[in-house]
Amino acid sequence: MAQRLVRRSGLTMPVVTKRFVDNAWRRGCDYINLDLEDSVPQHLKAHARSLIKEAIPNVSKGGAEVFTRINHDYVLADLEAIVWPGLRRVNYPKAEYGAEIRQLDEIITRLERERGIRPGTVEIGANIETAVGVAYGYEIASASPRVKDFGGASGYDMSRDLGVEMFVGFDQFVYGKGECELIARTLGIEARSAPFVANTTGSVSDPEHAFRTAEAARKCGFRHGGGLNPAVVEPQNRGFTPSDEDVREAHWVLEQYRQLAGSGETWGEVNGRIIDRYEAARARDTLEWAELCAERNREKAEAVARVQAAMAEQTSRASA
Amino acid sequence: MSTKIRRSWLLVPASKADRLAQARQAQADVVVLDLVEFVTEEDKPAARERVRASINALQGCGADIFAQVDPEVLYADVRACVWPGLSGVVMSRLESPEQMIEADTLLRQFEDARGIFPGTLEIVAALETARGNYAAYDICRASPRVSGLTLGRADLIMDLRPEPSGEIHAMPYLMQRLITVAHAAGVTPIGAWWRAPDRGLLATPDNTYQAARRGRAIGFKGSLCLLETQVASLNRGFTPAAEEVQAARQVLAAYQAGTVQGAAATRQGERIIDRGTATQAQRLLALADACAARDQEKAEALTHPPLTIP
Repeated sequence: MAQRLVRRSGLTMPVVTKRFVDNAWRRGCDYINLDLEDSVPQHLKAHARSLIKEAIPNVSKGGAEVFTRINHDYVLADLEAIVWPGLRRVNYPKAEYGAEIRQLDEIITRLERERGIRPGTVEIGANIETAVGVAYGYEIASASPRVKDFGGASGYDMSRDLGVEMFVGFDQFVYGKGECELIARTLGIEARSAPFVANTTGSVSDPEHAFRTAEAARKCGFRHGGGLNPAVVEPQNRGFTPSDEDVREAHWVLEQYRQLAGSGETWGEVNGRIIDRYEAARARDTLEWAELCAERNREKAEAVARVQAAMAEQTSRASA
Repeated sequence: MSTKIRRSWLLVPASKADRLAQARQAQADVVVLDLVEFVTEEDKPAARERVRASINALQGCGADIFAQVDPEVLYADVRACVWPGLSGVVMSRLESPEQMIEADTLLRQFEDARGIFPGTLEIVAALETARGNYAAYDICRASPRVSGLTLGRADLIMDLRPEPSGEIHAMPYLMQRLITVAHAAGVTPIGAWWRAPDRGLLATPDNTYQAARRGRAIGFKGSLCLLETQVASLNRGFTPAAEEVQAARQVLAAYQAGTVQGAAATRQGERIIDRGTATQAQRLLALADACAARDQEKAEALTHPPLTIP
């Protein structure tokens, strides 16, 4: 598998709200998702498209990757406006058929060629948000090599499609989520999922809930976060990053596993913990992920420092 | 569907001679000689050499004998395992109908070579990967030998970790899927509803019992396990409890009392007893009888000295 991308936190924001876009680089998130879809009113769709090309370098100057969420119904117009150097991913809402993804792939392939972007740079996020999408999940996820991860079948749009209230104390999406995750794993692409953590208040800005959800997801092996409110960015970065204790524990597990080798046993129990190749693999995974997170944090910190230095220079030149 | 009573499937590393004597005494319904999960790569050639003697050593202990084999080195494993006395194989990490067809053909070949009646050997497919689970139905239909489906150690092989609720991630979905497919294909779903901290078929006797009860409630008929100490919990967990038997008898009595008066359904307290309820009660009593018979069979077998097979 290619190097795992670090996408612990990300803000989805209407590209038409200048204040959000201009401050995006300060938020510390791993990615920014510029929205053309639900957060942009119908009469501003055309205007919104015209803003993307300049917004890409603007929101990414703090080190964030840039995604754009397009409209299910305006694929061609949206793609023409957004596929520019710097764009990493097109999020396509309410994916329902493999043919839709093949069409997106064709258009993106043409635009990459015309605009000097290396082929295959732009990923497709095929978001499953309807029952039809679940039914055609396999053909959607396998329709293009640009689909690098897959999951969904939960959340706001899914609950709307099924006609159920979203904020309840139990998992309503066991089947759809399970099916999409099984498809992702079958195809060998990253499964984008998370264990269920109840949110009955509907809050999108509760840092404590964001942290608990992120931590639970990481402990389950998932790495992908994102949200709508800047207050959840830091808790998600923290929750998705292994703690120092997790790293120490992983080293300990690997040490125990090394001692098992050559004993002729495939597993053993140390301090009430099973040690075997599966625990060793999880420990290696934790260490690798901790490294990637640290590197990503450095990258972002350096990018932010560069912006601040440039701003300071501009200020001092202006006052001189 | 197989009517054989196989509540406990004890995995024993084929490399460990010292575990055989314990396994004989463990009262497992099935002993599975493992060549895959609990034998180190270095020990595998020697372990294969030992399987025939192990099958012979287990003869007469009352347990059915299976071997767990690896589809990646199938020929060597099957050649090592297929001897008279073996009931079938558990195919670890089975992923595709093609692998099932290959196994079917190979078993037939060795049945012929070793004087086993053709088609006797069963296959239990351990669907421990995403591909295997996704293809579950086609895998079941690929050979008439398939008698069971299990998730085996999918929690470890697919790296499914505990959720805050205690459920192992994705397992509730995968279990339901497997049970549905197994019933649709007419084979036995084998497994238990494990929860954290249980992992990889390993748990305390009490947790094993709870996992068996939950597993039986969603349709599993028996489960694999790693330790002799888990066997009794599985046997008990997958056997109808005394209260259930008592209740079933009352249901049948109430139903029969109603039918002699020409009624299709009758009341028993708050419950309506109809033909479906009565059939369920009958099945439960049949299962309880079969479990008791199986237990007696095994107990008697153990009173005989081990068979000496040249």
